[in-house]
Amino acid sequence: MKTKNNKPLNVAIYGMDERSHKMMEMFLKGPCKGIAVVVDELGAELDIIDADSVNAKEILDNRKVKTPDRPIILLSLEEVIIDGTIYVKKPVQTDELVEALKKVKLMLGGDKLKKVKDLPKQLSSPESKPEPEPKKEKRPFVVENKQTETKKIDSKKSKKRAKHRTTVNLTEKGFSAYIGHVDGVDFSDQEQVLLASFSPKNFFLGYVQSAIRVARDKGRILQLNSSWKPLIIFPHSQEIWLDADDKQLRAFAGLAIANKSGQGMSLSSVEQNTSEFINEKIESFYDADAFIWRLAVWTSKGRYPEAINIDRPVYLKHWPNFTRLVVTPHALQITALLINGPRTLINIADSLKIKPQYVFVFISAAYAVGIVGQARRKADELIVPPEVKKPASKGLLSKILSRLRS
Amino acid sequence: MTQYKIIFTGPVGAGKTTAIHSISDDPPVKTDATASDMTKNRKSSTTVAMDYGLMNLDDGEKIHLYGTPGQERFDFMWDILTVGGIGLILLLDNTRSDPFQDMKFFLDSFGDFISDTSVAIGVTQMDISSTPTIADYHIQLKEMELNPAVFSVDARVEDDVSLLVQALLFSLNPGLEDE
Repeated sequence: MKTKNNKPLNVAIYGMDERSHKMMEMFLKGPCKGIAVVVDELGAELDIIDADSVNAKEILDNRKVKTPDRPIILLSLEEVIIDGTIYVKKPVQTDELVEALKKVKLMLGGDKLKKVKDLPKQLSSPESKPEPEPKKEKRPFVVENKQTETKKIDSKKSKKRAKHRTTVNLTEKGFSAYIGHVDGVDFSDQEQVLLASFSPKNFFLGYVQSAIRVARDKGRILQLNSSWKPLIIFPHSQEIWLDADDKQLRAFAGLAIANKSGQGMSLSSVEQNTSEFINEKIESFYDADAFIWRLAVWTSKGRYPEAINIDRPVYLKHWPNFTRLVVTPHALQITALLINGPRTLINIADSLKIKPQYVFVFISAAYAVGIVGQARRKADELIVPPEVKKPASKGLLSKILSRLRS
Repeated sequence: MTQYKIIFTGPVGAGKTTAIHSISDDPPVKTDATASDMTKNRKSSTTVAMDYGLMNLDDGEKIHLYGTPGQERFDFMWDILTVGGIGLILLLDNTRSDPFQDMKFFLDSFGDFISDTSVAIGVTQMDISSTPTIADYHIQLKEMELNPAVFSVDARVEDDVSLLVQALLFSLNPGLEDE
């Protein structure tokens, strides 16, 4: 069957779940500029099979029987060489798929394909073990019975100024001074950077996070006791109280807490005299998320949480509330990019042309407050994320940005 | 010559005028009148035409900052104002009785403009009324299948307003030169 060069190829897709199917459809329409269009089995001139799917062999055998002369493109993480098929590596890149589709167009315009030979035994890679579901934090959603008039004003709330302050906005120059130094990692060595992970459980951060979870579960105000200062958790108002300045907190944040020292950590109810002291030092109240975020930045120091698989895409649930958080270098850029779709940490750094540690510290903070997850959908790994286009010259938006930052 | 502008919108008393003032280079033009209706309970004066401010860029180019009147009876002006707009800043007052309703109303009203450009949302007065929380706003936005930046903002503070506008710019293009 001859195909006119300008007419899109009719393609049938196999071995993909609904989301991946939809993504491939959009990919062909968008980045591949409509060189092919997805149709059903009967109307197709070409079959595209996800060769990594569990029943890929069965699909391929089936296609050989039903439409022996129809060209086949196999998508796979590992190279698959089968006569009469065209292999395209996953994650799929626009140029490679377009090239393969052009080859098919030529084939359809020329001789018929040779028949497909038998598959090797292992066609699909075994399914990777699904990652455990991250524990979802239940955030109370309260919609009060509203009156038409303005709500009552709580004067005490407005006195907790630390909560409502515009916070630190770090540039690259100020970053190292702010986060401090981490021993044992040379951030100028790319190999070391990729191995630079940390476990929150080994630091004050992990204990605070656990304590907050317990306080929320029990619905009670609790005190985290340690060899350092007491930290009070107010789960109903999502607040933390800690009588310590930034310098003290930063120093303690970076200390690895050995197992033995960790046994000295405990949770208790708040004593009466502590309660009176808290009320006198109202400026030591912090929003819980803002506190955890800051603590995570100081614990990370440019490393990433070990729970994050650096080779798999991460997603961001929503924009952080940056006006009340430490804004690490390039944080807004990273956020804007991730909101558009999941990416690996290294892809983010490469796409934005920034050092990986800026990505790592942002992800550490965002992960600590529960707004980052590891993508598990196959559709998120199917196609290479689009390149980030930087304007060739300083466009209008860049000029506005410069003006805002001057 | 194309007039580039950023539009500030939101209900009465959300802080549009104040926010424009915070980042404007020239003293903003206020077009106030005495509030005659329900608005009076919230503010003694209100914007009846539009607020206007100006940002001067390095090369002499100017970005116009337009604040829409917050009262619905002036909504016929909103379409006119958005022509040539780069994006939308939506300010919401957290002390109002139903900020979610406000949010839905303005996002629907400017839906076409937002589809073509982008929006960033600033929630004001959170020091006075801390609920709904920012997380609550995200839950509502998820139901609307939107995921813009939502920040707690003090409209008087230049850094807050500046960060909100920066988020808008990066939403339009994450590839902007950052430093």
